[in-house]
Amino acid sequence: MERNTGVIYEGYPSMAEIIAANGWPSEERFAKGPIAVVECVQEIPCNPCEAACRFGAVEIGTPITNTPQIDSEKCIGCGVCVAACSGLAIFVIDKTYSESEALVSFPFEYVPLPEKGDEVEALSRGGEYLCQGMVVKVVNTRKNDHTPVVTLAVPKEKADDVRTMKRLVLPEGGPGFERIEPEGFLDDRVIVCRCEEITAGEIRSAVRVEHATTVTEVKRRCRAGMGLCQGRTCERLVNRILSAESGITPDQQKGTTSRPPVRPTTFGELAGVDEGGKR
Amino acid sequence: MSRTYDVAVIGAGAIGTSSAYYNAKAGVKVILIDGGDIADSTSSRSDGNILVCDKQPGFDARFAKASQDMFPGLSDELSYDIEWTQKGSLYLIEGPEEYAIAEQFCKDMRESGIDMRMLNHEEVIADEPYLARDVYGGLETMTDGSVYPMGLAYGFALACERLGGTLSLHNRVLAIGKKENYFIIETEQGPIIAKNIVNACGVGAPKIGTMAGLDIPVQARQGQILVAEQTFQVARRKVHEFGYMLTKFQSGGYERPVSERVRRNEVAFVFEPTRSNNFLIGSSRSFVGETVDNEIDVMQALAERAIRFLPVLADIKVIRAYSGLRPFTPDHMPIVSATPVEGFYIAAGHEGDGIGLSPITGQSVADMIAGRETFMDLSPLSYERFGKN
Repeated sequence: MERNTGVIYEGYPSMAEIIAANGWPSEERFAKGPIAVVECVQEIPCNPCEAACRFGAVEIGTPITNTPQIDSEKCIGCGVCVAACSGLAIFVIDKTYSESEALVSFPFEYVPLPEKGDEVEALSRGGEYLCQGMVVKVVNTRKNDHTPVVTLAVPKEKADDVRTMKRLVLPEGGPGFERIEPEGFLDDRVIVCRCEEITAGEIRSAVRVEHATTVTEVKRRCRAGMGLCQGRTCERLVNRILSAESGITPDQQKGTTSRPPVRPTTFGELAGVDEGGKR
Repeated sequence: MSRTYDVAVIGAGAIGTSSAYYNAKAGVKVILIDGGDIADSTSSRSDGNILVCDKQPGFDARFAKASQDMFPGLSDELSYDIEWTQKGSLYLIEGPEEYAIAEQFCKDMRESGIDMRMLNHEEVIADEPYLARDVYGGLETMTDGSVYPMGLAYGFALACERLGGTLSLHNRVLAIGKKENYFIIETEQGPIIAKNIVNACGVGAPKIGTMAGLDIPVQARQGQILVAEQTFQVARRKVHEFGYMLTKFQSGGYERPVSERVRRNEVAFVFEPTRSNNFLIGSSRSFVGETVDNEIDVMQALAERAIRFLPVLADIKVIRAYSGLRPFTPDHMPIVSATPVEGFYIAAGHEGDGIGLSPITGQSVADMIAGRETFMDLSPLSYERFGKN
């Protein structure tokens, strides 16, 4: 019995669906260098890929439910669209990497991330094992909002099918499963206040050198808790460090002063509530 | 505590820590006492402006300028980064009537040695790109700057400690007695003996004054501030409306064209960028006792007035508001002075200028106590001028 294929049956698109929805680069184009391959077959109202491309190589146009088309002349295979696609449906293929190998770049949002030089298991669209792949590059930048993009070298004949890699196993009790608030002594270099990037060492210095005795006094000296979240994230940790330094238990520490607004609100919203605002 | 101090400074805000520091620097034995922390009251609920532009021409401006001139070297002197920046300041002028008042003010200030200049419409718009396009003109002051106000107080206090001064924090003063040439200061942690006292308690100065039998005319004038999120550079330096002068000094027959909400809260637009890539929005003024709560009506008026001058603010977020108490005196001038009680000095009543005036105040108090001549005649700051006692 022939199996039904395609995205609604298997959860990933078939080659026929991809070609119909997005097209497929010619082998001549593949021979010229890297190029983006879009595998976005459902008519979803979504277009960050179009906006992300500096070369105007991705076209959706109107209506926004059009499926993306790649202009193979304009595309240089830079891969910016790979991280921009919230559906993880864009890849970059470079069949010019070597005589026998091609590169496949794909978004990979699982920790732990592989490292350059690792040999990993390359998987198909459906998650089935295809071959071994060598990690050539891992890009994980703030510009991409930390959507990591992994590039694997695989045998050339597998390049049209390799679309991801097998997840790596987290070490027992390793990162990923740690308590958000770690037990024990916090190293001086640990960032406690993430908004203002204040370390445990700076907090200790506020207590030891600058005579701070409460969470508020720490905040005024080193800005821990002064940022966007107003201490909602770090106050407990600051309190814990303070307690360890001063011997006063956390529940007996003086709390900070609560001030409006409860959540950040714009000047416009604030001004527009009553008379006088022009909204 | 049986040690005898030459000088006991009561109050560890900007003025008190400065007074303690300059006394310690002069080589005398100092103790700095506060019922709370360093910078626990007005100095932690203020902005960090170091301005001469908002002073009155004449003595007020010259006193402020002398203080401002002490700031550039302070971070090094105190070995503490007080975040001093000096980019000047810009007054915004709303119409021809304000412009005429500002022109006269500019002329008078220049005669007092303050470097200021008028900007026409095109110049002011070019100066800050995000300003409302209808701002009529501007008045620029070249030397104005800002600091992190709490950092200033910590810097002074810690430097005082390094010079051998004693910090007695979280120690409330309960009573003051005098025996021969010594004061006996009763505190929660026992008596402290000192030859001289500096009352640097700001809004709390009258209470300490009463303990020494002095009636000090300082009153709390509340002000509220909005804190913005970290964002792009909305303006590169301090920007405020010239109408601020008119609300500060409650003077002149000129009425600003403002909403009822802005008028009743005495709100005048003040924008202060900070070293932390965000900014503060002020200002309001009201006599409401000693509460430091925030009022939604005041916050709304502050936001409304700010958007009038910087429309781009409408979409930027407010993350916090706070409220502080300015130590106000009837003539808007501080009291930096000896008193009829020998050895008892007052350094208080700086209204909204205590951060900016702290170095020169501390220096002057140290000079008075040491019997040295002050850098200029400070009789306009005398306690006697109020005709008390």
